[in-house]
Amino acid sequence: MPIPDETLKAIIRDYQGFELTDEELALVQPEIEFYLSELALWEDLDLSAVLSSRLMRVPESVDRNEGVTEGGAPNG
Amino acid sequence: MANQDLLRLSIAELAPKIRAGQVSPVEVTTAALERAEELQPKLNSFITLMKEQAMAQAESEQAAVARGEFKGPLQGIPIGIKDNMAVAGTKTTLGSKVLAGNVTDEDAEVVRRLKAAGAIILGKENLEEFAAGATSNNPHFGAVHNPWGLDHVPGGSSGGGGANVASEVTFASLGTDLGGSVRLPGTFCGVVGLKQTYGRVSQRGLLVTSFNGDHIGPMTRSVTDSALVLQALAGHDPLDPSTVPVPVADYTSQIGKGVRGLRMGVPSNYYFEDLDPQVQAAVEASIAALEELGVETVPVSLPSMKYAGAARIIAMSDALVTHEPYLRSKRQEYGPDVLYRTLGGQFVLGHHYSKAMKIQRLIQEEYAREMQGIDFIITPTSPLFAPRIDDQYVQHAGKRHRLRGPGSGLISRNTSPLNATGLPAITVPCGLSDSGLPIGVQFITRGFEEDLLFRVAAAYEEVSPIRGARPSVLDGF
Repeated sequence: MPIPDETLKAIIRDYQGFELTDEELALVQPEIEFYLSELALWEDLDLSAVLSSRLMRVPESVDRNEGVTEGGAPNG
Repeated sequence: MANQDLLRLSIAELAPKIRAGQVSPVEVTTAALERAEELQPKLNSFITLMKEQAMAQAESEQAAVARGEFKGPLQGIPIGIKDNMAVAGTKTTLGSKVLAGNVTDEDAEVVRRLKAAGAIILGKENLEEFAAGATSNNPHFGAVHNPWGLDHVPGGSSGGGGANVASEVTFASLGTDLGGSVRLPGTFCGVVGLKQTYGRVSQRGLLVTSFNGDHIGPMTRSVTDSALVLQALAGHDPLDPSTVPVPVADYTSQIGKGVRGLRMGVPSNYYFEDLDPQVQAAVEASIAALEELGVETVPVSLPSMKYAGAARIIAMSDALVTHEPYLRSKRQEYGPDVLYRTLGGQFVLGHHYSKAMKIQRLIQEEYAREMQGIDFIITPTSPLFAPRIDDQYVQHAGKRHRLRGPGSGLISRNTSPLNATGLPAITVPCGLSDSGLPIGVQFITRGFEEDLLFRVAAAYEEVSPIRGARPSVLDGF
């Protein structure tokens, strides 16, 4: 979905406080085109089963009572 | 020992000589500084060469060795630091004009650990402006040049480190890898580049440009040296919540055990698509070489890689947040590649950021599933070898690709997915192009299995067709 140039310029003006020239906007365009092309890939993607990724997992083979070492002093 | 012979040694070879008093830290550091000054006009690999501090450290370590205080294999070893990590009392510019006068009081945690291990900090190395790109063509400090072909880029964004390690200026250099910025200078400069598991090494003191998958990692001239440097860096940092309290393995313990019986995943999609034919041939030869060593090849399918660009969308938004404090007041101090690429992040909507995070998780789950049945994955590190410094675009696999700034991403196509997964990955030199430029092969293991990663990489390194090859800039040294 293309975004009108005036909308793009207004967003930069409102959030960053400066005016982009047409030439400058043309330099940003490849990044916007990349973004929009990625969005097009996602249209039929079902993400409803994706779980949270916040928890950091310790491999089950690690003995948690072994203590944590810094580099230079390998465990065991 | 003559300077050129000293500098040619690996860390593993030099460390016992320092410990035995056969070579002194002052002698090594003097040689490294002389080489650095000699090559700086050709490579432009340093932003700040820390001559006085390095010599003071070297004298201190020499005295320590004389007293019998041995701190491990990095003692007395000159190491370079990418100029986006803090070294106390020294400028940390991020390769930018915006932060040209930025001096910090404290060392980054990795620098603290290196100093504690006795390493000599030789200088702050040149990089892409704000570490945002893969060419190290810096608009403020000048382009870094590839030691294998001075008209070519060294890869980026940690290009100064790659050039220094390859040119035997430093024995190791620390880079940072958000989308391949350690592994790409590794492959383009013909050295080993490591991105360990996310959470394995503290990022405290790194001026990050994204909050999603930056890693500090070493570039070295051998796999064993990579393991020795990681040994000094790895470990939980209670002041960096991104680090994980997993015990640190002995990273050299599996090197030399061979790879017979290991199962090697070869992706049937994405990673081997649209390769330069010379890269393809070199990596296929690497696969064959590992099979000769007794590795079993297993096809691996990673269909979610279709959505690998999601991590880039996260990075777009993150970069804008990083730059927001400077954009209003210092816009004129930015180079165009970073400025206009960064402004693209202004248009990423919140729900698209959220979806991108979910997609990243989807990709992580897919790798986790696929890697249950194999020991490691092999891929080309980059689809191409080093382009020319003056190229804005490259014609590749029938398409025209931007190399820098908005819309670029070809060079890091095969490295950036591992930043999204957080899995450890290493590049090892595997060939030279017809024009004499290095090509790298990438190995990937499950999280926190760096010891296995080093075992595989070292076994391959032994049979690499360019083992021992040196860049043309060293002709006459």
